Amino acid sequence: MMSQLSIRQLKKRYEGKQVLHGVDIEIEHGQFVVIVGPSGCGKSTLLRIIAGLEDVTEGEISIDGERVDDLDPADRGCAMVFQNYALYPHMTVRENMAYPLKIARMAKAEREKRVGEAADMLDLTAYLDRRPAQLSGGQRQRVAMGRALVREPRVFLFDEPLSNLDAKLRVTMRIEIKRLHRRLKATSIFVTHDQIEAMTLADRLIVMNAGLIEQIGSPVDIYRQPASTFVAGFMGAPAMNLMPARLAGTRATLERVSDYAVETGSFGPGRDAITLGIRPEDIVVSRDARVGLLARIDLIEELGGSRIAYCSVGEQEIAVVLPKAVSFREGDRLSLDFPAPALHAFDRETGLRLTAMNAARQEVANPLVTA
Amino acid sequence: MVVLSVFCLFPVYWMVVTSFRPANAIFETSLWPTAASLDNYVYALNAIPIGRMLVNTLLVSAMVTVAQLLTGLLAAYAFARWRFPFDKIVYTLIALTWLVPFQVVMIPNYLLVANLGLLDSLAALILPHFAGALAVLLLAQAMRSFPTEVIEAARMDGARSWRILWEVLTPNLRGTIASLAILIFISTWNEYFWPLLLSRTPENSVIQIGIQMFMTSEGTAWGPLMAAATLASLPILAIYVLLQQQVIQSFTKSGIR
Repeated sequence: MMSQLSIRQLKKRYEGKQVLHGVDIEIEHGQFVVIVGPSGCGKSTLLRIIAGLEDVTEGEISIDGERVDDLDPADRGCAMVFQNYALYPHMTVRENMAYPLKIARMAKAEREKRVGEAADMLDLTAYLDRRPAQLSGGQRQRVAMGRALVREPRVFLFDEPLSNLDAKLRVTMRIEIKRLHRRLKATSIFVTHDQIEAMTLADRLIVMNAGLIEQIGSPVDIYRQPASTFVAGFMGAPAMNLMPARLAGTRATLERVSDYAVETGSFGPGRDAITLGIRPEDIVVSRDARVGLLARIDLIEELGGSRIAYCSVGEQEIAVVLPKAVSFREGDRLSLDFPAPALHAFDRETGLRLTAMNAARQEVANPLVTA
Repeated sequence: MVVLSVFCLFPVYWMVVTSFRPANAIFETSLWPTAASLDNYVYALNAIPIGRMLVNTLLVSAMVTVAQLLTGLLAAYAFARWRFPFDKIVYTLIALTWLVPFQVVMIPNYLLVANLGLLDSLAALILPHFAGALAVLLLAQAMRSFPTEVIEAARMDGARSWRILWEVLTPNLRGTIASLAILIFISTWNEYFWPLLLSRTPENSVIQIGIQMFMTSEGTAWGPLMAAATLASLPILAIYVLLQQQVIQSFTKSGIR
C-alpha cells in the first residue's frame, strides 16, 4: 500500500543553525504516529513544517502522492491541535468549530451538521454557545479537536496537546484520543516529550534526538530493542541502566565494578569497549549473596504499585525494581543478577546497538525499516 | 486625594460659575454667582455659530479617529506579522515621528494643504492626522502580545492576512482600540494650533477657534468665552462619564502624555 504521508531528506535551518538534519518518514493510511524526543530535538519543528507553518530548507513532503511543501497550510489537508488550544477567544464554541468551514464557503446547513456531529462525538453539545473562557482546560482541548475534526482532514497533527492539562485529565484525554482514533481511523501525527503518552498512543513511534531520527518502530520494539543508548535511556522510567563494559571473548566485564563479568556473546572483531544496558525491571534481585553482584541500597522510591531502589556497586549506580515479596530498606545489601537475554549491548563510541554474532537473540537488523 | 481633586476641579468649576455671571459681576470672587443669568450663553450663541462649530469639531474628531485606527491597524499588522526589508528601521522612524512636535511640521503641512487648495476646509484639518505614530505603535504592540498560536490556527483554518486582521485580531483588540479611539478623539477635539492656522471663516472652524474669537485686541469677553468653553467641554465630559473605565485604562496603557 502506498504511504499517505512521505517525508524525504527534510532539512531545516534557522538563521544558520541546523535544526533538522535530513529526516525520512513514511506514514501509512490510518496510522497513529507519535514523535517523541527531548525538548529541542526538532520534533515540533518537524510537525510545523508538515503543517506548513514553517518553510522547508531542503527535502520534500508529499501527502497522497502530491507534493505539498509549497502549498499554503490550509491547502495541505492537515488540521492541527495546538498545545495551548489556540481557540478564538471572541467566538463561541460553535463559531470556533465552524470557522474553517465558513472560510471554505461551505453551505450553512452542512456546516451546522458537521459541527453538530463533532460536538456530539466530543460531548460538547451542551457548551456550543459558550466562549472558550467559560470552559475548563479539557473542554477547550476538545473544542480544538472538534475544530480539526469538522474539516475532515487527510492528516491530524497534534502538537503536545495534553501538556497543559493536569495529570488526571491528561490520562482521560489520552484515552479519549485513542478511542477517537480507533473510531475515525484518521492518519495522525502526535508530538510529545512524554514517553508514557508516546508508548500508549502510538501505532508507530518515532524517537528523535538533535534533529535526527534515532529509531522508528512499534512502541514494544523500541522498548525491547532500542537502537541506541539514547533511545535506551530515553524510553522507559526509570531509565535503562547503562554501564561501561569491556569485552573479552564472549564475556563482558563491568568497568566500574571489579571482577564481575556477564556472558554477552561476541560482536565481531575490534569491538571491545561497549556499553551494557539492562532495564531496572529485568534485574533479578535476591538476598542470596552467592549469586550475582553484591550491592547496597542508597535510596528507595515508593511508587505505590512498585518500589524502585537506587543501588551502588563500586562506582556504578544501578536502578532496580524491587520485588513485592521481599521487603528491603535503605541501607540493605542485596544481590543483583543480570539474565543474559535481558542484556542490551551498544557500541561505546557510536552508541548504536550491537547484535551478537553467535547468540540466538532476535534483533532488528535495521531499526529504520518500517513496521 | 480629595485636596488634589478639588485643586484640579476648581478651574472647571470657576469656568462654569463665571459663565453664569452677568457682565457687570464677571470679576466677582464669590464662590456662587450672586445673580445667575444665561445672558452669556445667548450672547455666545449669537456671536459665533457654536452649533455649527461643534458639529465641525465632532466631524473632524470622528473622522480623524476612524482614519487613524484604520491606518494604524493596517500598518501595525504589517509590523507585527511580516518580516520585510528595513522593517525595524521603518518602525523606528515611525516611532520617532511621535517625538517631533507638531509645530515643526506645521509650516510644510500648511504649504502642502495650500497647494492642494484646501485652505479653510475641514478636509485640511483631517488630512495631516490621517495616520498617527501612537496608533501604529500601540496596536503593533498589542498584536505582538496576541498569542501566535491562535493566528497559526487561523492560518491552518484557511484564513489569510486580511481575514486574520479583521476577523481574528481586531475583535480581540477591542480594549486597545477603544482606549486608542478615546485618546485620539480627545486630542483632536482639543487641537488648537492647526485649525487656527487654516481656518478663515467661522463656518469652517472648530470650536476651539470659536472660543478664541472672544479674545480680541480690545479685550476679552470673559462671560461668553466661559459659556462657549463650557459648551465645548460638554461632549468630552459626556465621553468621560460614559466610558470612565476605558478612559482611565487608556491613560495607564499609553503612559500619561
